[in-house]
Amino acid sequence: MEQKELIEHIEKNFKYKKEIKVIDGKQFTITVEKDKVLNLLSFLKLIDFKQLALITAVDWIDEKKFEIVYILFSYSHIQQILVKTFVDRDNPQVETVKNLWDVASMYERDVHEFFGIDFIGNDDLRPLILHNWKDLPPLRKDFDSLKYSNKMFGKFKKDEEI
Amino acid sequence: MDYRKKSIIGPLSSLKYLFKDPITVRYPKENKKTYPDVEGVSPQYRGRHINDLEKCIGCGTCMDICPTGAIEMVEFDDVKEKFGATKKRPVIDYGRCCFCAFCVDVCTSSSLSMSREFLHSFETPVQLQKDDMGEEISKFFILRPDMKFSTNPGWKTDNEYSWLELERVAMDMINPNERINSFIEIVKGYSKDQAIKEAERCVSCGLCKDVCPIHMDIPEYIQAIFDDNVEESVKQIYRTNPLPEVCGRVCTHKCESACSIGHRGEPVAIRWLKRYAVDSLPLQEYKKVLTTKPIKQVNKKVAIIGSGPAGLSAAYFLTLMGYKVTIYEENEKAGGIMRYGIPAYRLPDDALDKDLDFIISLGVEIKTNYKIDKEKFETIYQQNDAVILSTGFNLGRSTRVPGTEREGVVQALDFLQEVRDYLTGRRKDVQITDNVLVIGGGNVAFDCSRSVARLQKMKYGKVKVTQVCLETLDIIPADKEEVEESGEEGVVLICGRGPKQIIIDENGHVKGLDSMKCESVFDENMNFNPHFNEEDRLICEATMIIEAIGQAPDYSYIPDEMKSKMKFERGKIVLDKDFSTGVEKLFAAGDIVRGPDIVNGIATGLNAAIGIDKKFTT
Amino acid sequence: MTEILTFLGKEDQYEKYELFFGPNHPGMHGNFSYILTVEGHTIKKVDPDPGLLHRGFEKLAERRKWMQNIALIPRICVPEPDINEVIYSISVEKLMEIEVPLRAQYIRTIILEMARIGAFLFGFGGIGGATGLYTASYWTIADRDYLLDLFEWLTGARVYHMFIVPGGVRRDLPSGWIEKLSETVDYLQKRLYEYDRLIYNNPLIVKRLKGIGKLTKEEAIEYGITGPNLRATGVKYDTRKMVPYAAYDRIDFQIPVQSDGDGLARAIQRREEFQLSLEIIRKAIKDLPDGQVRAKMPNPLKFNVPKGEIYVKVESARGEHAYFIVSNGKDKPYRMAVRGGSYTAGLVLAQKILVGMRIEDVALWMSTMDICPPDFDR
Repeated sequence: MEQKELIEHIEKNFKYKKEIKVIDGKQFTITVEKDKVLNLLSFLKLIDFKQLALITAVDWIDEKKFEIVYILFSYSHIQQILVKTFVDRDNPQVETVKNLWDVASMYERDVHEFFGIDFIGNDDLRPLILHNWKDLPPLRKDFDSLKYSNKMFGKFKKDEEI
Repeated sequence: MDYRKKSIIGPLSSLKYLFKDPITVRYPKENKKTYPDVEGVSPQYRGRHINDLEKCIGCGTCMDICPTGAIEMVEFDDVKEKFGATKKRPVIDYGRCCFCAFCVDVCTSSSLSMSREFLHSFETPVQLQKDDMGEEISKFFILRPDMKFSTNPGWKTDNEYSWLELERVAMDMINPNERINSFIEIVKGYSKDQAIKEAERCVSCGLCKDVCPIHMDIPEYIQAIFDDNVEESVKQIYRTNPLPEVCGRVCTHKCESACSIGHRGEPVAIRWLKRYAVDSLPLQEYKKVLTTKPIKQVNKKVAIIGSGPAGLSAAYFLTLMGYKVTIYEENEKAGGIMRYGIPAYRLPDDALDKDLDFIISLGVEIKTNYKIDKEKFETIYQQNDAVILSTGFNLGRSTRVPGTEREGVVQALDFLQEVRDYLTGRRKDVQITDNVLVIGGGNVAFDCSRSVARLQKMKYGKVKVTQVCLETLDIIPADKEEVEESGEEGVVLICGRGPKQIIIDENGHVKGLDSMKCESVFDENMNFNPHFNEEDRLICEATMIIEAIGQAPDYSYIPDEMKSKMKFERGKIVLDKDFSTGVEKLFAAGDIVRGPDIVNGIATGLNAAIGIDKKFTT
Repeated sequence: MTEILTFLGKEDQYEKYELFFGPNHPGMHGNFSYILTVEGHTIKKVDPDPGLLHRGFEKLAERRKWMQNIALIPRICVPEPDINEVIYSISVEKLMEIEVPLRAQYIRTIILEMARIGAFLFGFGGIGGATGLYTASYWTIADRDYLLDLFEWLTGARVYHMFIVPGGVRRDLPSGWIEKLSETVDYLQKRLYEYDRLIYNNPLIVKRLKGIGKLTKEEAIEYGITGPNLRATGVKYDTRKMVPYAAYDRIDFQIPVQSDGDGLARAIQRREEFQLSLEIIRKAIKDLPDGQVRAKMPNPLKFNVPKGEIYVKVESARGEHAYFIVSNGKDKPYRMAVRGGSYTAGLVLAQKILVGMRIEDVALWMSTMDICPPDFDR
């Protein structure tokens, strides 16, 4: 299906509240409420969005929100969909999608480690990459990597800028 | 393709390799030559840096772009001081450098390049490995200005692939055929998009700030323009400059001569950006943006004589410091040289009025039509706690060649004031003829010749103006734009000639100028001392001559016993460091301190204000 | 390592143990590790343990200006650094709506294909290393050097070129470069037939690779396997063809596919794509247009990218390499997430597919899948 048809199809068949925004000819975003993410993703998987390319998050610290992004791709429609949802920054929780895609478990582990977002239902959220990490999750905007570096490795003469 | 093809003679096929060239390294070793013309590594290799200390201006753009923070600007004493350059030079730490050559691509003076030399490892003598290791390492891994690793440049700055925008955003101007018909302002000013685009060119090095007489916060206000925050920009401008509308049009813009981008391309149009900022904020908004409340209250009265740039600047700063300021102006309107000297096509009245209105709105009192003489001066001096002299260079200077006393020979400033009065309707007519000659090569001379051209066009329908100046084109003191634009308007410029005498016809009217060739303008000490060749003569015909070779101050209003206490040098008043004249509570600012220049006037006005404040608050 | 060295009283005292298959293991590619639970020679459980290579690029990028990041991101991936530059540049260009000159697009294409060939050569060497055929790695690494020489000539650096920047490329091709490139391409073509004899027609290699880590189409898509590995299962999809970038939409080429989906198919698929890359370079050289190589870009110190977000992917030698970039309109990226080509294969698929395999095949499987630790440890 072409992008236009595809959007129409989603508009018609996925009834919950959503917002669709086209980025370019090959990709568009769908923003939904966080409890409808699973519904939308399984709906999209049914219309042949089989590849889960990435799960990641963005820390919108000023709005006190985390944005969780699921990036899907369809080999038949040649379209990329960015499914987005926002969760509260103080209580970041969202349902896991690992039952839909096996690969999601590892992405969720990754996001959990770097943003501190909990994926309900994913029982394997052990630390993946960082070793003995006791500070804030590092990709949060309030984690200052320079301060951490100075604390851990001592101050370098010219570190005001970078 | 079938990759598992089997053959009965398979094992034998390997025999053919006996006759093939081996692929491995051969002995004796064969040098592989990849790059034509050069030995060794690539012709644009990005190895260790080379910095030409003479060319480097210490702008610090390399430090700003460096992604790894490897470059630090360090004060270095062994470099020659030059205009528009700091003494800082980059020190490069190879422990951090990633050899991206971004510093080379943004280098504003194209002094930095990367060499074809690199370092794989270095030998440390065993005995040093414990104690002096740090120093030993830094010898290899930190490039200081006094060190040189290589003279073999690889990756060089290239204007064709420049990361900096080297061309200015073109300014819209009224074309010569149209503008010659009236005194309408020539430069149209930037639109918002143009201004943001031009502001984007700035690398915020701050070299301009150092050369500006009033040290305006140029990088800051340009950044504000780039961020589309005109309010902030005006705020930054008004911190140091109370006459931005004027400076945005007619400043001598030393900043642009120092601009680091100007070394490779056209400098950033700092003056026009300033003009854009103040033009786009209406006067009503000023009060919301700028501080108008004095920072303290001082119950003192200050009188300022003359409402030129220096007087207005002093008034502005003194008012903000909490003084009660009165300005005395001999003409009908305030502004001095800005109103009566500079022609309207360069500085229209409404721009000046905008600056003036804001200063007046702060509570400065301006007494116009108030000609000061010795008596009045004495009264003012008694009534006020301090007096600033800022009367400027308001007398014309004559060439004093034979014939200048005749009718038909006029002084530039008188002429320009007449033109202004004519344009505002206070005079019916200006005396001009259809063939005018202007003597002089400064901006004032060009103002005269271009004004004459306009008046001739209006009166006679055609332009015939000749301008004779001592200097040749490369050392002419006027701005380049003036020379170009006057040429477009039909002014004929004759360079390198000095006046010998003015030729008078039998009826006593001016007939022309007899000029002689000027061999050199300055002597060895760079003092003004022209040397003429009297053999080489040229006679230019003209029925009116305007002398615009310079201006002189008028000190006739100062009482004699005060004058005797003051020191003068080449017509200027010598001041102490607080801008005091040596006479109790008498200060001076403007042209009579530093010579004719608007931005210097503003600077001296500020300095005099600071001097006064120091006297009363400490 | 609880059960390690537990003496069971049988003839094989190492019947069940944990093996730390890490950077110190000769079969491992780089700084990555699997903790394998092994019974005899057969793997029972796999626990991937990345983290030894983590450098925090995503965080570092948030602290640097848009232009400064160009110096940072190639370092994410060693064998094929140029893909990072090109993804980043394309993202910035799309967010800023900048048109890149055609010549720059072609130069980018040539650079990308050269880097791709370099990565394939590394991969061939890896297969050689994992099977004990060290001649292969010597040959391929030496041949890769010819490409590095060309890179050095063009960009001034051998591995991290930092040459592709938003707006185009930094310099035009030096005179004589194209001729040298054609020469090198011809040379590599000749060498490819030697590789055929050495590797792909080698009965030992064929026997070793056959059947390793067999995947079906559906499994591959489900597990997010991309690139040559996906095409080896028979899916005819190539980002260069389907979602073209650089000058790929102007170059005509056929996507090669295999059907088996096992280690051999993947190896052969890579060999075919090596051939394809050579062809693309030849075509790009033939069509190379004249003109500018860099669009007008803002001052690198005053470089604001409009608000927006974009996911840009390119076809790397390991599959879909992509960035998800978010800009909040300021002078630095707000968020830059990296999707490595072999993330899912190395971390998730490995847990499933390695079970039941023999220890000696782990390294080989990793070679054929082209698992690259920087893909998970950004």
